[in-house]
Amino acid sequence: MSHTHFRFDRRRLLAGTTGAALALGWPASQAQADGRILVIARSDPFKSMDPVRAFEDNSSLLQELAYSTLLTYAWLERPYRLEPDLLERLPERSADGLSYQFTLRRGVMFHDDACFPGGKGRELVADDVLFNLRRFADARLNQESWFLLEDMLVGLDEYRAATLKAPPEADLSGTAVAGLVKQDSHRFTLRLKRENTLFLYAFASPATSIVAPEAAKVDGERLATHPVGTGPYRLKDFERKGVIRWVRHAGYHRSYPAAGGAGDAEAGLLKAAGRRRPFVETLEMPLIEESQPRILKFLRGELDLVNLDRAAIDRMLRRENGRYQLLPEYTQRFTLYQSERLTAMYLWINQKDPLLGRNKALRQAIAHLLDVPGDIETVQRGAAQPLGSIVPLPIAGSERDTGARPAGYDPERAKALLAQAGFPEGRGLAELTVSCGFAAIEWRDRFDFHRARFAAAGVRLKSNFTDQPTFIKSVEASNFQLALYGWVADYPDAENFYQLLIGRNAAPGPNLASFSHPEYNRAYEAARLMAAGPERLVHLRRMNDIVRDEVPLVPLYNSLRVGLRQNWVRNHKYHLLISNAAPYLDLEGPPSRR
Amino acid sequence: MIEGGLTLEPAAVLDADTPRAAWRVRACAALLALYALVALLGWMHLLPDAQAFVGGSQQPPSASSPALWCGTDLLGRSVLWRVLAGTQTAVTIGLATVAVALPLGLLLGLVAGWFGGWIDDLIGWLYSVVVSVPGILLVTAIAYAMGRGLLAISVALAATEWVGVMRLVRGEVLKHRAMEYVLAARVGGASTAQILFGEITPNVVHVAIVWSTLVLVAAVKAEVVLTFLGLGVQDGASWGLLIAGAAQDLVNDIWWPLATTVTAMFGLIYSVSVLGDALRDAWDPRLDRAAFEA
Amino acid sequence: MTRFLLRRLGQALAVVFGVALLTFLLFHAFAPDPVRAALGQHANASSVAALRAQWGLDRPLLQQFWLFLSQIIHFDFGRSFVNGDDLATLIGNGAWVSLAVTVPPFVAGLLISVAVALFVAYHRGGRIDRLSRALFVGGMSVSALVYVIVLQYGLAYKLGWFPINGYAGGWAAPHYLLLPWLILLAVSIGPDVRLYRNVLLNEVRADHVRTARAKGASEARVLVRHVLPNAAIPILTNTVSSLPFLILGSLLLERFFSIPGIGDLVVSSLANGDFPVLKAVTVLSALALVAFNLLTDLLYVWADPRVRLA
Repeated sequence: MSHTHFRFDRRRLLAGTTGAALALGWPASQAQADGRILVIARSDPFKSMDPVRAFEDNSSLLQELAYSTLLTYAWLERPYRLEPDLLERLPERSADGLSYQFTLRRGVMFHDDACFPGGKGRELVADDVLFNLRRFADARLNQESWFLLEDMLVGLDEYRAATLKAPPEADLSGTAVAGLVKQDSHRFTLRLKRENTLFLYAFASPATSIVAPEAAKVDGERLATHPVGTGPYRLKDFERKGVIRWVRHAGYHRSYPAAGGAGDAEAGLLKAAGRRRPFVETLEMPLIEESQPRILKFLRGELDLVNLDRAAIDRMLRRENGRYQLLPEYTQRFTLYQSERLTAMYLWINQKDPLLGRNKALRQAIAHLLDVPGDIETVQRGAAQPLGSIVPLPIAGSERDTGARPAGYDPERAKALLAQAGFPEGRGLAELTVSCGFAAIEWRDRFDFHRARFAAAGVRLKSNFTDQPTFIKSVEASNFQLALYGWVADYPDAENFYQLLIGRNAAPGPNLASFSHPEYNRAYEAARLMAAGPERLVHLRRMNDIVRDEVPLVPLYNSLRVGLRQNWVRNHKYHLLISNAAPYLDLEGPPSRR
Repeated sequence: MIEGGLTLEPAAVLDADTPRAAWRVRACAALLALYALVALLGWMHLLPDAQAFVGGSQQPPSASSPALWCGTDLLGRSVLWRVLAGTQTAVTIGLATVAVALPLGLLLGLVAGWFGGWIDDLIGWLYSVVVSVPGILLVTAIAYAMGRGLLAISVALAATEWVGVMRLVRGEVLKHRAMEYVLAARVGGASTAQILFGEITPNVVHVAIVWSTLVLVAAVKAEVVLTFLGLGVQDGASWGLLIAGAAQDLVNDIWWPLATTVTAMFGLIYSVSVLGDALRDAWDPRLDRAAFEA
Repeated sequence: MTRFLLRRLGQALAVVFGVALLTFLLFHAFAPDPVRAALGQHANASSVAALRAQWGLDRPLLQQFWLFLSQIIHFDFGRSFVNGDDLATLIGNGAWVSLAVTVPPFVAGLLISVAVALFVAYHRGGRIDRLSRALFVGGMSVSALVYVIVLQYGLAYKLGWFPINGYAGGWAAPHYLLLPWLILLAVSIGPDVRLYRNVLLNEVRADHVRTARAKGASEARVLVRHVLPNAAIPILTNTVSSLPFLILGSLLLERFFSIPGIGDLVVSSLANGDFPVLKAVTVLSALALVAFNLLTDLLYVWADPRVRLA
């Protein structure tokens, strides 16, 4: 271990007298029983820690600490497996598939907080869950994640409509909802409108986290920065733009898994099997927005995990057989992890554009001019995989199951198609505009990379970089020709991606291309609620063929997450759907972090 | 404002007459001419293609070919060519900003100084309002509103810079208003427009020109910051884009993009500053050289 | 005197109204749409409409402007769009932090710049003068962003003399702020020394200075006792006029060093279209400046009865 390097700190010498003042003034919360502090950086400010108010990565990172959900994903199994969290076991499905019985675990305790009488957290009961479900459906509170349960539970949509009409302060949590049936203090039943395999995923999402009703009733606004739940960590110090400190929740109900995937035991990932979680007393999450300082801090041992940007990938990794290896000079201190993510990036082609919408050959030519492997290699330094269909690789129904292949970079084919489209050698073709709402320099490099390829075939591209809101505004108004935009999985099912191209989702919905193909729509409706299997694959393949032929979008790539962890971190295995690894991590011999 | 202050104080240059000083001014003027030439070539599309791939990714500088003198960037493009393209952008922004701010400030200053009364009050109010809003907010808000890019920044910067020249010109007009030659012109029956533009303007334009050099410098530096914040030039090459990208490269010990860009920027700003000082010395009638003791 | 006061007050109010109008135009009429920024990937027609209504963005512009004016009068700017934080706390906290970043180098910079300017004025015409002028003009010819990038990389990372970034309140703050202070100092010294040198050299030509020299005073004494006091007024004017803007902090430094001040708040609010924050910061700083100017005008009048501009 190289932690001795950090004991002698020249910075203190330089700071002189402030060093003494520093020691005196350091917040008392640092003096913990075992002194170990886990430090994980946040890269963007979060919106809200209230689960119904914010449905984005930066917020769920924190929501996962303070709250628990009914279901979650097994930590060690890949790609993912649903398992019960607040529940005793997975919900029991009735014979007709229209109702599910939920049984809560016993002895799950809320955090201690002033909102409870005596300041002590009490046990979680069924009423709490039903209160939260109503809160989730409340139109005055939840505008972002409601779609997860939209049109699924009996009576819940009507409840939502009622909240929309009610005055802002009215408390409707006592209203009866037909689909929410309480049986006793720890059991309840949910009734569905129709059979639905996607229904359970909603309960693994941070959006349906269980919040203490007392806290929500006292002051709903306060929940945004002062969460009270049953999660593994309790909020200790809050600074929106600084360091957010968390302390272990002593009464947390989960333990480390006893079983894992292949190779986990050998990798030492099962050493903590059966032990109560979380393991580290204190967790600090500083906000560091620029990637350079983040990586520099990691290299100095001040952060336990870090994502690598392409500059760091260049500097610290090399590639072998399509996988990254950490350079030998770093392996003593760090370990590399790499994984696909559940995100996809596309080039959307606006079907409403007079030029592109009517010219299929032109669209197909565009698909063949996109050198995605080159882009990944040069612009991203290999941190992605090309996509052959609209679904990211790890999800059931991706090209690993359907066998879909990308159109591929084929300039000859593209030229032939261009001629067929009426623009031989690109003559007579106006400049095409590519809209993009991402600010990072990488995107400009990406555009420059493809522009050169397109120019070689005679197609001229122009860029239109704007900020995100302006970009979204223009694509919703269908005011674009080509656009770079992706999708992050809301839940791990192919349906969440195929719905991007159905007719009723046309702009201003997520179907930016405003694509509407009757056969595609039919295949989607058929496959939508099907369980994974050969029958479903038939429909998915049909949809892939249609997309390949009509080209409303060109699937580009599936990003890889490439990161490093310090060698003193234990139990880390990058998870596709759990944002915050802290509740599972342990530290063995980290440096003193006072 | 974003960085640095804009003040127009008498230069009090002591060695304005020494041969060394004259030499330096000539050198800077020559350097500026070079920059102007680059910009001109750029406008005529005669500069080497900054988008062309001339070598491997991130090669260090080598003497093998002019394109590689300053190395290559991530995509294998010539850093030197990109910096030249950035020079064109910088000069364009500087000139565009001056082109908008100068006439605006000049006109308003003339009008405010000459007519006085409620017109002066109104323009004074406008001045106070613009000055009270923090520069960075005004510039970024306007840049956003106009959809970013070269024109947007120039207009946004001009919106903050016109106040400087307006105040200066107004001051000069107030002084000249009472002077004999103006009274003579009025007596002679010249119209207001004739007096303003024909008589007074030539006497105040020197102030405006010196001020323009300061604005040009401010514009070039502001573009860098604005581009870093995501508001500036989006397409093509600009020094701001190059510097923003260079921050990442530096961690990997790739110093040549940053070094080349900073050198180019330094050259332009330094020579404009020196030239501006020299012009001020040459034209400022308040400068009494004989009164200096060494 | 009262007429003057009333007139100045009236002018001040007119300016505040003008600022309100300008702010409103900039941030309502032209800024990016905050609703879509807030909803991101899941924006759809109904949620957009609901959020717009919740934030009062669907009312006619004139009505919104009227609301804005009354907000200014009551000093209540509501809550942030992005995260619902109370603005008074948000800006208050950020203001202290920004002041911690800008005030110490400002004070130190003033003292150092005046001292260096005196030194250079003493050696005017000589090699030191020429060298220092070249140095300072040169220093000004490099963007502040470059200073930040290079110094953070060189001094914080490579040499490890300073923390790379971060911030802590209270006594721990100087530890994190030393490098930002150094950078601010480095960036501002050039222009300041240039200015003060010019001011000093102007004074050097004055009659009373010639008299002092004729009476046998040494050059140093002349500079400090005769030149400096007169030069103090323009120097102080320049200093004082920068004061209200200190509270805005330094944008670049706050972003690069993860310091949660107002500058950084402004940048992220612009990107998200967080109107309330932007409106509040703009109006508050304008108010501060106007109040400041009013005060200094009054001080001038009180100090010098001859200064009475009609």
